[in-house]
Amino acid sequence: MNKVAIIGVGHTKFGKLEEKNLMDLLCDASLEALNDSNTNDENFDSVYLGAMCPGEFNHLSGIASALVDRLGLIPAAADHLKNGPASGGSAVKAGFHAIASGMNSMVLVVGGEKMTHISTPGYITSAVATLTHHQAERRHGTSLPSLAGLLSRIYLEKYNAKLEWLSDIAIKNHRNGALNPIAHFQKKIEDFMESAVKKGKGNWNTIYEFLSDDNSNPIIADPLRLFHICPISDGAAAIILCNGEIAKKFCDNPVLITGIGQATDTHITYEREDITVLNALRVSSDQAYRMAKKTPKDIDVAELHDAFEILEAVESEDIGFFKKGEGARAAHEGRTEIDGEIPINPSGGLKARGHPLGATGVAQVVELVWQLRGEAGKRQVSDAQTGITCNFGGFGNNIISILVERM
Amino acid sequence: MSNKENLVSNKCKKCGYLQDISHLRCLKCKNNTFDTIEANGTCVLLTYTILKAPPLEFRDKGSYALGVVQFENGIRALGQIFPKENLRIGMKLKPVYEKICNNLDGNEVYSYVFKLIE
Ligand SMILES: [Zn+2]
Repeated sequence: MNKVAIIGVGHTKFGKLEEKNLMDLLCDASLEALNDSNTNDENFDSVYLGAMCPGEFNHLSGIASALVDRLGLIPAAADHLKNGPASGGSAVKAGFHAIASGMNSMVLVVGGEKMTHISTPGYITSAVATLTHHQAERRHGTSLPSLAGLLSRIYLEKYNAKLEWLSDIAIKNHRNGALNPIAHFQKKIEDFMESAVKKGKGNWNTIYEFLSDDNSNPIIADPLRLFHICPISDGAAAIILCNGEIAKKFCDNPVLITGIGQATDTHITYEREDITVLNALRVSSDQAYRMAKKTPKDIDVAELHDAFEILEAVESEDIGFFKKGEGARAAHEGRTEIDGEIPINPSGGLKARGHPLGATGVAQVVELVWQLRGEAGKRQVSDAQTGITCNFGGFGNNIISILVERM
Repeated sequence: MSNKENLVSNKCKKCGYLQDISHLRCLKCKNNTFDTIEANGTCVLLTYTILKAPPLEFRDKGSYALGVVQFENGIRALGQIFPKENLRIGMKLKPVYEKICNNLDGNEVYSYVFKLIE
């Protein structure tokens, strides 16, 4: 198997980007990655695009072919990967396969989504809910947030954890996002509270009081409130992959993808023997660790899929950092902060960096590349050499883990 | 429209594994023959949520409770719970066939829901 190197990255700002359409975003991220990797004059073998709902949100199909045309990369092969919110991770995996197998030597991977222009209440919730099992879940009114609510309630009860500990994850991720110039929310929750006080909307003694107030932090899927849930965002991210043998020709500090894994679980969430276990993550991260000959102890930094803050807690356990049931407590104790024993989501995660569905799996890898190159600015994890991601498609029924190391 | 919906699961004829009827083969042993069994007796609430931002089709309801229950014979199901107040994990419920919403075409949608045992 050939070594797979990341030689350049691109990342648009995430957020409500009114002046950009989906194709603009994909092109912006791609062109930045071409520049970053000094591959503007290279011929590309393949382009892999991850986007979840371009048909539903943007009335577009055939977007991978259109992107290659727009970027002047014809006749590169072009594929569109659709794997729910893990579409970006699937695109990275397709690029990895192409290079590792020797079929390709230069590949562009890009993920993106444009969704903030949709104003119909419930439309996005409904489109995303089509991921769930129709007969057993969706026809009863299930949405993704409601599955997260069901998971949160049973987790808190079973492991004697506190809702405030899930809030601590959001507080940390917003604090990290405040240090990330491309994040959707570059603002701490403390600052949201201060603005609300200044506007005369209330007075709270602690941040937990602010976060348990129905006006400042409305319930979405009890016990989860607005600040436990990621925003709806626009944005795109891109990486350039090439055969490791030629990586140093293009850049001084390539990052290698040394491990990658993907696994599935039951479509109906309640059919999992223990609803609080993400077996797809256990299997996919185990594949990634084995391929890279690493263990969870070797990881310096992780980007996990906190579409809901309960997920960061559960993922931090099933990816091997903490014992089952201790993830939320570990976050509460500060063990996942940028200067903690295992920094999780220095980017701000989905909560603060934002979650343009198909972009996320690629954006997680971009953040790790910045961390491993020492280019993460104020959110830099000291001497980060090895990182891992968890990109979550559906509700835990399709999970991709990507392990990267400095070359 | 029938006035009842049977709450059923498939039990694998080879290994006895209990699973949703949508699976064509057993998740444990790949066998494809099953006995369809009905949920039996009352059920226990395993977890629940109260959804305040429903998908499009359920917007007219405003807010509703969803729960996962388990019956005495092991069958699990997800459904709405009425009323949505004072719920707790471990409480006993019973299935009742009822209207759950109007779909986007304005037609009434029925299914089983779970109610407190009086
Ligand atoms: Zn079987």
